[in-house]
Amino acid sequence: MYYIHTISSISNQDSFRNNDVYSSLRKFDAENDVVAPDYKEFIPRNALRRLSPILRMGLTCAMECQKNTNAEFDSIVVGTALGCLKDTEKFLTNFITSTSDFLSPTAFIQSTHNTIGGQISLGLSNHSYNMTHTQNNLSFEVSLIDAMLCINDGKKNVLVGAAEEKIPFLENLQPNIVADTHPLASGASFFVLTDEKKSIGIKKVDALFNIQSVENEIKRFLATENLTVNDIDLVLTSNNIELSFEKTIHYLQHTGLHYSASAFATHVGHDFLKSNPANNVLVVNHLCNDKLGLILLQKG
Amino acid sequence: MSDLKQTLKEQIIEQLNLEDITPADIQDDTPLFGEALGLDSIDALEFIVLLEQNYGIKIADPSEGREIFQSVNSLAAYIEKNK
Amino acid sequence: MEIFITGYGLISSIGIGADETILSLRNEKSGITKGSNDFSSKYLVGEIKFSDNELKERFGIMQNCSRTALLGMIAAKQAFEGHSISEEIKTGLISSTSVGGMDVSEKEFRKYLQDGKQDLSQYKHHSSGVSSEQIAKELGIKGFVNTISTACSSAANALMMGARMIQSGMLDRVVVGGTDALTSFTINGFKSLMIFDEDWCKPFDNSRKGLNLGEGAGFVVLESEKSMQLSKQKAVANLSGWSNASDAFHQTASSPDGQGAQLSMTEALKVAGLTPDDIDYINAHGTATPNNDLSESQAIKSIFKENIPPFSSTKALQVILWLHRVELKLFFRFLQLTMDICIRI
Repeated sequence: MYYIHTISSISNQDSFRNNDVYSSLRKFDAENDVVAPDYKEFIPRNALRRLSPILRMGLTCAMECQKNTNAEFDSIVVGTALGCLKDTEKFLTNFITSTSDFLSPTAFIQSTHNTIGGQISLGLSNHSYNMTHTQNNLSFEVSLIDAMLCINDGKKNVLVGAAEEKIPFLENLQPNIVADTHPLASGASFFVLTDEKKSIGIKKVDALFNIQSVENEIKRFLATENLTVNDIDLVLTSNNIELSFEKTIHYLQHTGLHYSASAFATHVGHDFLKSNPANNVLVVNHLCNDKLGLILLQKG
Repeated sequence: MSDLKQTLKEQIIEQLNLEDITPADIQDDTPLFGEALGLDSIDALEFIVLLEQNYGIKIADPSEGREIFQSVNSLAAYIEKNK
Repeated sequence: MEIFITGYGLISSIGIGADETILSLRNEKSGITKGSNDFSSKYLVGEIKFSDNELKERFGIMQNCSRTALLGMIAAKQAFEGHSISEEIKTGLISSTSVGGMDVSEKEFRKYLQDGKQDLSQYKHHSSGVSSEQIAKELGIKGFVNTISTACSSAANALMMGARMIQSGMLDRVVVGGTDALTSFTINGFKSLMIFDEDWCKPFDNSRKGLNLGEGAGFVVLESEKSMQLSKQKAVANLSGWSNASDAFHQTASSPDGQGAQLSMTEALKVAGLTPDDIDYINAHGTATPNNDLSESQAIKSIFKENIPPFSSTKALQVILWLHRVELKLFFRFLQLTMDICIRI
């Protein structure tokens, strides 16, 4: 079991500094991309002026997690499918349209995927292991796998999370990238995994490719933990599943569509276990056709 | 010259995204890379872009910038000299 | 648990495959020449002098893909030669890239900005994860796929992740490495940072001014002992130590004392159970920027003190931006340490 010490999410929901995100879930608000806190309270003015929304979200969640953790993180693992899109688009536009030999470097510097993890290490003056995974809809799941390996390697406080940023241009591309039609959104969720016993943890994570049947994979996954569909108190899923679960939440209806929404679903699953007489929560991420992410949360 | 300095302050705020800072907050002799504004080496590159785009002045070697970018005074003097 | 390296492949401006590459290195033949694309023709770059179509034809690749994915497929296929997919060996692919399919996106986006026309379907190649999934498909790997994107350290991190996954038992065999095509995006990016040398780069030279950019891919196959018994492949080297640490100094600059590099070298030696005296050669990052080479030299000094082993940067001959410096080093037949990885041969 990989215990969860603390979580911080910024999303379309009222999730930041909310102890029970499950109970306060509401429908997706198309008027607002995310419910953001006042970033000036978290990030020094000098750093903030350069940061795009994805960096603001990621750094703020990481700082909030650090505030709730007594020790410094000894690993920082970040997942992002599409990374810092706003700065990528800005720098592309800049060098394609510019006639000058001199280009503003800031957008280029902040366009790489690892800027999120880099800003976190800089913001926290943290010299530990720093990794960035980018694997489409499974970016959060592969990051979790890395974080669990860190705990196996003897690390004690592992920050792991995922973040995505919506830009208007992405709406043009949506039909070419993903079959899902939920409105696009942004979001970030960060967790601290610890080797110390806590009330709730992540029991198992799978990132599967080239799958034939979601239903069979779920049954196989649960069987490895001696569980069946009937043992699952809540399933949080991106798509319809032809299995009958006790309780189902279609999480994209709350987060909107982004590749790392399963990280937010994991946050909801954690809060559900905390406040309900339940033992097992399953997060099913089947956003892309033959790829499947499965995350099993349990009470410790 | 004072018009140039005022314009420069506005351009610096825009180029460097200095949120919450107004031209009045920057004195002509405020050290740009000191505590007050807390600028760094990336900002030095942004200054080079600013000079080229607004005044057509090209600085090829970033280390030349150190003295030029000390303050609004030194920037304005350099622009006057090289226009 | 021992991690064995049982295959390797690479493509860069100085050669396709190990033999060509070693020959170029021995003869000090540089791959850095004036670019042949619209966006690279003004600069000295480490370009692979074959078009996408020429490469696809030569290596029998049918997939519609970015150049980044294509270079990765060529190197990964070489590395995986002699290996076959088997139910008994849990096999994965961990690739890495800094720009992914940017070579495709920037062309479309340019058309969009200039004529308002673009082929939206081409942007499906943008995501870095897509390039890795396509490389896995080319090799017939259906299991775990992952992409790491940490700029210059990406491929080293892919090796490290692969080794840890084998040690944990999640995988028995994993193809690891990195790939990046030369793009206008990166050329303009490094130009904007003003660390782009218009002449040949000069790593560790007093007169060094900055880097040249290039393209390429490199992959190795990592296996557990159990996997090697089944695959019947021979080990050419061991991967014995690794580490990743953060300098946390500045977004674009290394600390003057190379703290992050010191931390990772110390930890990599510890993981390998070696001391600095055991190291016979260091292949350095050596980007030829004034800041990097100084910081790296300080870090090497602080770890190796008076007994600094021979070290070099291959950047002057073969500039492969960001990624796969680690793979090249396999062929030097030394005990090696990089900033991140120990390879025992």
